[in-house]
Amino acid sequence: MDLFSGYRARSGYDEMIAPDGTVRSPYRDFRERIQDWDATAFLQRQEIADLDTLNSGITFTVYNDDAGTERIFPFSLIPRIIAPDEWAQLERGLVQRVTALNRFLVDIYGPQDCISDGLIPADMVFDHAAYRLRMAGFRPPQGVYSHIAGIDLIRDSEGVFRVLEDNLRTPSGVSYVLENRRTMLDTVPDLFPLGRVEPVSGYPERLLEMLVAMRPEGVAPDETRAVILTPGAANSAYFEHSFLARQMGIELVEGRDLVVHRQRVYLRATTGLERVHVIYRRVDDDYLDPLVFSPESMLGVSGLVNSYLAGNVTIVNAIGTGVADDKTTYCFVPAMIRYYLGEEPIIPNVETFTGWREEDCAYMLDHLEELVLKPAEGSGGYGIVVGAQASAETLATARDRLRREPRKWIAQPLQDFSTIPTFDGAQFEPRRADLRPFVITGDGSWVLPGGLTRVAANAESYIVNSSQGGGSKDSWVLRKQPES
Amino acid sequence: MLSRVAENLYWLGRYLERADNMARLADVNVQATTESTPAGGGSAWEAVIATLGATEAYAGALTERPDLTLADYLIYSSYPESLRSTVATARSIAREVREHISREVFEEVNRLYLGTNRGGTDERSLRMFYATVKRAVATILGLFDNTVLLTEGREWFHCGLFLERAEMTSRIIDAKYFILLPEPDDVGGPRDRYQWMAVLRSASALEAYRKQEHGPVTGPRVADLLMFDQDFPRSMVYCVAQLRSHYERAVVQIPMARSVHAAREVAILEYDLRAADARNVIRSGLHEFVDDFQARLGVIDEALREHLFRAVPEEPEG
Repeated sequence: MDLFSGYRARSGYDEMIAPDGTVRSPYRDFRERIQDWDATAFLQRQEIADLDTLNSGITFTVYNDDAGTERIFPFSLIPRIIAPDEWAQLERGLVQRVTALNRFLVDIYGPQDCISDGLIPADMVFDHAAYRLRMAGFRPPQGVYSHIAGIDLIRDSEGVFRVLEDNLRTPSGVSYVLENRRTMLDTVPDLFPLGRVEPVSGYPERLLEMLVAMRPEGVAPDETRAVILTPGAANSAYFEHSFLARQMGIELVEGRDLVVHRQRVYLRATTGLERVHVIYRRVDDDYLDPLVFSPESMLGVSGLVNSYLAGNVTIVNAIGTGVADDKTTYCFVPAMIRYYLGEEPIIPNVETFTGWREEDCAYMLDHLEELVLKPAEGSGGYGIVVGAQASAETLATARDRLRREPRKWIAQPLQDFSTIPTFDGAQFEPRRADLRPFVITGDGSWVLPGGLTRVAANAESYIVNSSQGGGSKDSWVLRKQPES
Repeated sequence: MLSRVAENLYWLGRYLERADNMARLADVNVQATTESTPAGGGSAWEAVIATLGATEAYAGALTERPDLTLADYLIYSSYPESLRSTVATARSIAREVREHISREVFEEVNRLYLGTNRGGTDERSLRMFYATVKRAVATILGLFDNTVLLTEGREWFHCGLFLERAEMTSRIIDAKYFILLPEPDDVGGPRDRYQWMAVLRSASALEAYRKQEHGPVTGPRVADLLMFDQDFPRSMVYCVAQLRSHYERAVVQIPMARSVHAAREVAILEYDLRAADARNVIRSGLHEFVDDFQARLGVIDEALREHLFRAVPEEPEG
């Protein structure tokens, strides 16, 4: 009688247990190692892990709640484990996708071939709230727009990984990947298959290398000053901003710490003004520069955009990437991959209907109770209507909104995505989980092995966002076992 | 170093030192009244609040919450003067400068903050709480010395710490001389001596006193130790000397035009303290002397803010 003997996977795909009750191959070693644990042993470790999380201040801030409440991101000790060959395939698919998306961005802010060739409707791009006219005709260093991308994947009931969403603006979560691994190594080192898990600690170095590589022309690599720009300590992802600054050994700055003189950006230091060359910004486009975007923004730096367009500072990610990671554009990504790369997409999309197509819209209105309706622009799980779980009133309101502004919505069939065993306090239950791998693009693209596994707050939920109470897990990419 | 970060590190030092002093003050004074009532008939908490200079703020708080006791106000309330708020502020600053302190320091500050959830206000729980604060701050300062890089930021932290300590020590002396003004008959009597011992304990100075002075505990000698003993690490002169040397190290790379203002104030203050003598100070008015001292600390603080932390940026070179 051990912890997993009562575990029953749901009808869909479970990452650990196959429908016939056997343990799937990536989990076999893990299953043996946890064999002798009982609930007490598990809870003890979980307690140590939670205390560690609390003490090290790994918290995020929840909006729409008491102003500035900090919470721990719940952490679950059972990892997601990915087989080596499966990861190799995902890695190729992620690089392919991010490459195509960067080509698309260079194209729409440049020659606009995809529009003249009829691939993308012109007004879909130009009417888009995140399209930045100021970027038209500007080619960022090395033609990279989205240097750091987070691509959300799910595994469907057939066991196929699919892309659920692209995040090309300022995706967060990577600090949890690194901290989750540290917590696992500290609290359950005995569960690791010795020497077979790909490390994740190389991320900050890769990130810094990329930032330096993006420096403006004429600046030597060892003179390059890169900084992280944060909206401040009240931001929900502040922990991550501070974490990355620490890990890379670079300065974490706020808008008020920067000043622009003659189209050059400087830090306000005690010693005077010091030149900055690369800004990894974690501030949205709208708040970057009050002279260009939102004039009431206190978070930005006046003159920053001009200095960027003059080539004196590089902004990472580039301005205007939001037009490519929106849920409507998402529907066109497989076509982009074929168009720009002449390849078939390696990781498929989830079936998606967009209000931009009339026939899709009609279908959405008729089948709303079977669909998940999402705002085309927006993130964090806000505004999502899960048809099967919504009240008649919610559905009516949603239909109304859809009729009024069809282009603002997309819908997908309810995806029964895969589950991973998660301890609910007394036993293991299957909970749905997604995976957000992170892709860094400079000279080439590099994928952090694994990524952030987010898990729903309870057995019924389909929503894994931390702002909705979800938690996270460590993600292990297994190394190929050496031939013996 | 970023000006904002330098200022935050300075305030981190100040708030941590303040929390430590508050815990010590409350502890000693309240304990002292368990044996003997203070002069003037006021409660020990009144002496504490007067020392902290928060009497008026408390009166203001009372108009909002008439049932707020002094102990509640000073220890657990959400008013900015409370010990708990002081710790919370230190922690939120630490969070903002986390890249500039070590992981160990941050986690200890964070643990201190997480431990300040409301406990009991009976004397036993309060004393345990003070002990926690004092031990945590001592641990943090030790970790800071042994794990944080020897850069400019470390010096700013220490500038804040010693400036705050100098001010707190001056308040402790002032409170005894001015606020708890003894009845003329009492001077040199058992009660007077007992109170001076409490002052020494508030400044963690009783053992130091026994080593430096071999006679009985008298006002002038205590004042001499707390103000002018260059070997006692909480004396005013020691703190100002430390402030000067940390400041000099902090500004090594900083243009003179920015650093000279505070440097001048600190140096003159140190000279004045070294040249002063307890008997003369007491004769010509200790309260006035302390008042002036605190005002000059204020000038230093102002000079740091105006010329270093929040200076209007000049044009870059070239």
